[in-house]
Amino acid sequence: MKFVDEFRNPELAQVLSREIAQLCEPNRHYKIMEVCGGHTHTIYRYGVQDHLPENIELVHGPGCPVCVIPMGRVDDGIAIAERDNVILTCFGDMMRVPGGRGSFLEANARGTDIRMVYSPLDALRIARDNPDRQVVFYAIGFETTAPSTALTILRAEAEGIDNFSVFCNHVTIIPAIKAILDSPDLRLDAFIGPGHVSTVIGCRPYEWISRDFGLPLVCAGFEPLDLLQSVYMIMKQFTEGRAEVENQYSRVVSYDGNPVALKVLANVFALRPFFEWRGLGSIAHSALQVAPKFAKYDAELRFEIPGVRVADPKACQCGEVLKGVLKPWECKVFGTACTPETPIGTCMVSSEGACAAYYNFGQYAKQRLTLEVLS
Amino acid sequence: MTPDLRLAATQACDVTDGCITCGDVAVALTVLDVVGADARCRDELGREETVATELVGTVQAGDRVLVHAGVAIERLAAAATGG
Repeated sequence: MKFVDEFRNPELAQVLSREIAQLCEPNRHYKIMEVCGGHTHTIYRYGVQDHLPENIELVHGPGCPVCVIPMGRVDDGIAIAERDNVILTCFGDMMRVPGGRGSFLEANARGTDIRMVYSPLDALRIARDNPDRQVVFYAIGFETTAPSTALTILRAEAEGIDNFSVFCNHVTIIPAIKAILDSPDLRLDAFIGPGHVSTVIGCRPYEWISRDFGLPLVCAGFEPLDLLQSVYMIMKQFTEGRAEVENQYSRVVSYDGNPVALKVLANVFALRPFFEWRGLGSIAHSALQVAPKFAKYDAELRFEIPGVRVADPKACQCGEVLKGVLKPWECKVFGTACTPETPIGTCMVSSEGACAAYYNFGQYAKQRLTLEVLS
Repeated sequence: MTPDLRLAATQACDVTDGCITCGDVAVALTVLDVVGADARCRDELGREETVATELVGTVQAGDRVLVHAGVAIERLAAAATGG
């Protein structure tokens, strides 16, 4: 495909792979975390890890927006959908996330009207077409998605659509990175920064990671060569004794982000004092809520929300996987009780989740491991 | 009939490739024509979608934009890909 093939060129990948190997100190182990679920997906799908020397380990972080939703918030969504006259709308992967009372799909089997949409603007259209129903958008996602929700609220206000509201679960990436860096379980050497989140927020918000923690961060694109080049840029920083924020994805990401989108976000949303992340626990100022001046579009004020905290299933180790402490296949229920068809944990639901990505595309890595054991 | 990108993306939620919206995946599209604050856009496979353009300022036919969840979130250089 035009513009894409050049980012998947196997000869170029081999060249980059050799150059990365030359930059490696043989006795040092490098742990590089990618915080974006899209990167995790590319790494497994294209076997990026197999192009890296054995002492460079890619660790998967909490960047899948579905995976970080705690079970209690799923139950809250079902509670809204069970009210009379409500249509709940959400993105596709959210439909199968298990809560304490099952998933949205299972709730629909019991009679709720939960519909999959591609955009919050589609949810607004459903509200426009059903003036006698309450239409709620179950908003998830990082800073890539939050602007579309904000814009939808602005359009609802401009059009005077009053039967629309948002159950806001938008999260922000910087506090999650901070929580990981503060976690005693994990020692990291560098970050591959998110691509499309950075389209909105730019690269500047990551500068403290280099300044305060001395770690390189490279914002990366989503093709296999993007990721290899980003690892190369990180290794180059190590060999030159630098720790900086760099932008590999400059064909899309500008260093200052999108100022219009940032302004819309600041207008429509306010920071929550706390928000619970699956696996990471409660993190201060890490999520968005609808700002008071748009309170009439806030589903949490329009409906009574149970707000019950539900503990994760004991067998599930999504928390450790999300922090990068465990690899997906090290979880006790991976591939046996927990599969993409019958997920126990959220990491197995979305294809950007580390467990589902490994389950679907990890067979090559597994073959390699088997061969190593046999030899 | 022109294939609808939005329909394809929604259906993609159910397959191995996953939901492009949940996955923070944005796609590069070319603007075909502008209707108010919306623009009809096409991807490289010929699939079309109407997207909101308020976050990227005024666009015109031929411009390339990065689209996520039905909203253009950034302008792209002519030859750039979002993938």
